[in-house]
Amino acid sequence: MSFIQFENVERRYIIGDNVIKAVNDISFSIEEGTFNVVLGQSGAGKTTVLNMLGGMDLPTKGTIFVGDEVVSKLDEKGLTTYRRDKIGFVFQFYNLVPNLTALENVQLAKEICKNPLDPKEMLERVGLAERMSNFPSQMSGGEQQRVSIARALAKNPQILLCDEPTGALDSETGRKVLKLIRDVARNMGKTVIVVTHNAPIAQMADMVIHMRDGQIHEISQNEHPQDVEEIVW
Amino acid sequence: MVKGALFKKSIKDMKKSFPQFLSIFIMATVAISIATGLDSIWETIDIQSNQLYQDTNLSDLWITVTNPSETKMWQVQNISGVEKAEKQFIVNSVAQIDGYPTLKVYAMPNKNTMDVPYVNYGKKLSKGGAILDQDFADANHLTVGDKLKIEVNNKKIEFTIEALAFNSGHIFAIKDNSSLLPNPSEYGFIVVDEDRITSAYGGVKMYNQIALRLNSGVDINTIQNQVDDIFGKKLVGISTKTDNRSMKMVTGKIQQFKILAKVFPMMFFLVTTLITFSTMIRLVEEQRNQIGVLKALGYSKGSIVWHYTSYGIYVGLLGALAGFFIGPNMIGKVLISKLRFLLTLPSYDLKLNIPNFLFNSILIILCTGGVSCYSCLKLQGEMPAVLLRDKPPKRGNHIFLERFPKIWSSMKFRSKLIVRNTIKNKFRLIMSILGVMGCTGLIIGAFTLFDMVSGISKTTYEKIYTYEQKVMLEDRTSDQDIKNLNLDGIIEDVEEGMIQITADDGTRRMVGVSVFSKNSPLICLQDEDGNRVALPENGIAMTRKLAQLMNIKVGDTINLKRSDDSYIGVKVEKLVYMATGQGIYMTNSYWEKIGEDFKPTALLVKWNHIDKNFLNSDYVKSYVNKTSQKSDFEGNLNTVKSAAFMLITFGGILAFVVLYNMGILNFFERVRDLATLEVLGFRQEEIRPLVLMENFFSTGIGILFGIPVGGVITNILAKGFGDDMDLIGHITIDKVLLAAVITIVFSTIVNFTVIKKIKTIDMLQALKSVE
Repeated sequence: MSFIQFENVERRYIIGDNVIKAVNDISFSIEEGTFNVVLGQSGAGKTTVLNMLGGMDLPTKGTIFVGDEVVSKLDEKGLTTYRRDKIGFVFQFYNLVPNLTALENVQLAKEICKNPLDPKEMLERVGLAERMSNFPSQMSGGEQQRVSIARALAKNPQILLCDEPTGALDSETGRKVLKLIRDVARNMGKTVIVVTHNAPIAQMADMVIHMRDGQIHEISQNEHPQDVEEIVW
Repeated sequence: MVKGALFKKSIKDMKKSFPQFLSIFIMATVAISIATGLDSIWETIDIQSNQLYQDTNLSDLWITVTNPSETKMWQVQNISGVEKAEKQFIVNSVAQIDGYPTLKVYAMPNKNTMDVPYVNYGKKLSKGGAILDQDFADANHLTVGDKLKIEVNNKKIEFTIEALAFNSGHIFAIKDNSSLLPNPSEYGFIVVDEDRITSAYGGVKMYNQIALRLNSGVDINTIQNQVDDIFGKKLVGISTKTDNRSMKMVTGKIQQFKILAKVFPMMFFLVTTLITFSTMIRLVEEQRNQIGVLKALGYSKGSIVWHYTSYGIYVGLLGALAGFFIGPNMIGKVLISKLRFLLTLPSYDLKLNIPNFLFNSILIILCTGGVSCYSCLKLQGEMPAVLLRDKPPKRGNHIFLERFPKIWSSMKFRSKLIVRNTIKNKFRLIMSILGVMGCTGLIIGAFTLFDMVSGISKTTYEKIYTYEQKVMLEDRTSDQDIKNLNLDGIIEDVEEGMIQITADDGTRRMVGVSVFSKNSPLICLQDEDGNRVALPENGIAMTRKLAQLMNIKVGDTINLKRSDDSYIGVKVEKLVYMATGQGIYMTNSYWEKIGEDFKPTALLVKWNHIDKNFLNSDYVKSYVNKTSQKSDFEGNLNTVKSAAFMLITFGGILAFVVLYNMGILNFFERVRDLATLEVLGFRQEEIRPLVLMENFFSTGIGILFGIPVGGVITNILAKGFGDDMDLIGHITIDKVLLAAVITIVFSTIVNFTVIKKIKTIDMLQALKSVE
């Protein structure tokens, strides 16, 4: 059995009189330690997949397995624990706490998990050794995103979920951030899932899940994922 | 059309931030309610009592003198500035009904026009009938047509009650200094024709008072001096409205409520302003983009500023209107109905002070509109393009505490976050502290107020007076008579009366004087700390409040006017504390030493065996049990109870509104952070303290600050009770603790609503862009 497994997962939203199937009967599996991209236009359902995988939303049908856990069966408390112990999040808009310094933002994650990694070391890894005592407002977007990555990794999660991590960055910075995610994850053996609408990013993934209208359009394996430097967008 | 769209926008905005605007509205309503309500009370007392003064044609000056001759009357009438002079006869009588209550008899010539009763029910006075005190009649179940026998000068005379009436001198109707509050079943007045009363005096017409009507603008002092000259030694006293116990009480009450109506709303005005400020600052910040759009569309600076200013004006205006209806009805009517026990007026119809209401309304609208205007002026300098762009993230700052790395690094990150947040939002912190402070202060004030007033009955009837019964003696009962009776119990004779005293600086005052033995077993005078004070042998004791009012210190000499009209200087040796009824005390031996006769007017008794025969004998005018004096007083604590209850209610509203607002503000400002934390896997109970700690913190500090505020409020309340009352409010630990507990309960309720709010956080919004 794969590390992550979606089986016939469906997520419906009822808005007024309309039933919207954001995700409609999808199944896929992801192996541990791989770098994966969920690709699709806005409205394709990719963020819903990420939310369910991240324990922020539950499917209306189907089953989600992560490791030995059935995530789709967890209650609210169970979901919180799941997020706390297994998931690292990298947000499109970084979501750093403005009143905490870079280091403190990373320590934030450390406080709540079982086997945290050293926050200073994490910041050094993302190249921010010099900026630890800076507040988010004193940092550029790229730097803020790197703090966010350090924060996600410091929790020592099994899965790193990135929602459009380069969405708010210019392409050069975006490339650097992606490279960082990829290198660090590879070194630490983390499973990474990046959600994006940016097709070229798919070239660096081990596996790409193409989504369209709430369904899986295509799943493709990359035998030879490209280095980030070679990708142009 | 343009205005219409913006108006719709303001209505929608207010709906969106409903709790905040509701808070402003409530605060404004409370501020105006208190101001208008309290104003309506003194306005009502003022108008209704003046109406009664007018209806009874109240005179300006009273000369106490026995049977003035026609020549003297003519002389008085010819003093320049005197418009009219009329002779009157006023004497106490005993009504021959259950309990033998006292009736003050006003016997006057038929042609008299001044100081006439205001007839409420019945007809005008005829030769044989009587006009009776309306309240007295009600309390004793008497009515027009009933016959009533009274005893004057030991003669019983029967009258038919022809009318029921009110009288200017009986608005605050207490018999003497020993009663603290009016009791209409025990004391009232009766107006009869002078001819009917002569039978009690062997057919001789009696007069003991001249009432004067003065021309307006006359100097009362020069009149007094001329009256002094005319009567010389025969003059017993001159009094004006300010000396009259009832009228003094009325003006005192008016003054008291005037002060309260100015002081109390202030805090609420301030809080309304601050809450409006915090709400509008947030609203304007949230609508940064919209302001940019409006500007880009070509709206002028003025119309945008007016748009946001109007939010404050609408809410302030609504609050003022609501306060106009709520204040008089909820505060005015309630308190006036309680004041009925204190003041007897023909009508309690509530009168509103419209000029003050308008002033207060304009003030509140200036407050709410002003800060709304200020809060949006800040953004007006920016270009539309700048406003349309996202706001840069809020700056984090290092705080002072971080300079002490030892403390700082030992703190958990959550504590750090709380401390930084709190310190960064000093405004919110100060607001919350202010709110809690006001709440605790008001509650402490309420408890102390209640304590102070109920303390009066405790000190007076439990500590100072230890007798069981007070027996008023007939004038002819002598000291020797009492001794001969061999009454079984502890008996003490006292002489009580009024005396004129003059301080060094010339201030004159008629005050109560009590004379009794040095080692009085049944009157235990005490100082303000409750220590027993023995009567001095060579000098007098004076009540503390009287000394303060007349600026007299221990060791000063004051002049007493003796019964032969000569003056004698006596030394004030001791100050004593009396909650109510300010005056002087001395021993019978000193009284005789300064040339007076000791002639007991009352007996204080602690019976071994109650002597019913004695009580019903001819020696006795009337008697009263201390327990009934005490319970009468305590039964009348209602006014104070409702006032205290109102204070606590206002305190509660203050705390609720402020803490809720600040809690919600704190929550809204940080909702994105909190959602992020939730995504990171923080549990509810780990997130809660981040928002709630600040509330706890400000509650704690606010309670501490509230203690001195409670002291100030207590002081204002105590001063408001007028010259006759000397109230001491002690802020005790138990009151503070109770106030703290109540405040904490309020704060906890608010916290629960904020917790509910935290549960509604939508994690997914954390993933969205900054709005």
